[in-house]
Amino acid sequence: MAKDIVAGVLCCVGTFFFLLGTTGLLRMPDIFTRLHPSTKCDTLGACSIIIGLAVYSGWSWEMPKLVVIACFLLLSSATCGHAIGRSALRRDIGYWRRKGTEVEDGDGA
Amino acid sequence: MDDFLTVIALIVSLNAVICLYRAAVGPTTQDRLLGVNIVGTKTLVVVVLITFIQAESFFLDVAMVYALLLFVVTVALSRYLEAEGWKEAG
Repeated sequence: MAKDIVAGVLCCVGTFFFLLGTTGLLRMPDIFTRLHPSTKCDTLGACSIIIGLAVYSGWSWEMPKLVVIACFLLLSSATCGHAIGRSALRRDIGYWRRKGTEVEDGDGA
Repeated sequence: MDDFLTVIALIVSLNAVICLYRAAVGPTTQDRLLGVNIVGTKTLVVVVLITFIQAESFFLDVAMVYALLLFVVTVALSRYLEAEGWKEAG
């Protein structure tokens, strides 16, 4: 019974972070700010749901597989975010700035 | 518990469909790549949830292979887009 409660709370937390990630991906103005909520969505959201299901499954053959998937997601989503960000930086995609606050000498914009 | 997991899977699937908007209309190619990456992660979570809804443990192996493929595809495509002389289509 306590197992089900812990698993349910972790799944709800993961779904909440997925909703946050979707909102950020749709609403943020440029690629560098979109990377920020989307990597949170990967690490916190997906890993919360998978760890919650590992708690729900108890001591069985599913649990080590779920832990391996969660650890791999923790490593791979951070690496994917870094690779996409570096790709955008090297292709000289401009930063977003609020209207009227452009830098005069064009530094970094 | 099965009904609860089904509701969670439906919400995550709906999120994935909404994220396809960014993959379709993203202004730069990196935006599209990011959108596809997010859709892939959500699909992975849905596959893991289906494992427990249908009580079929072999779906977990599918999820592991899917995570590996997603990582390789994203890193390879971002390295490809990083190369000099590549022009944005359209």
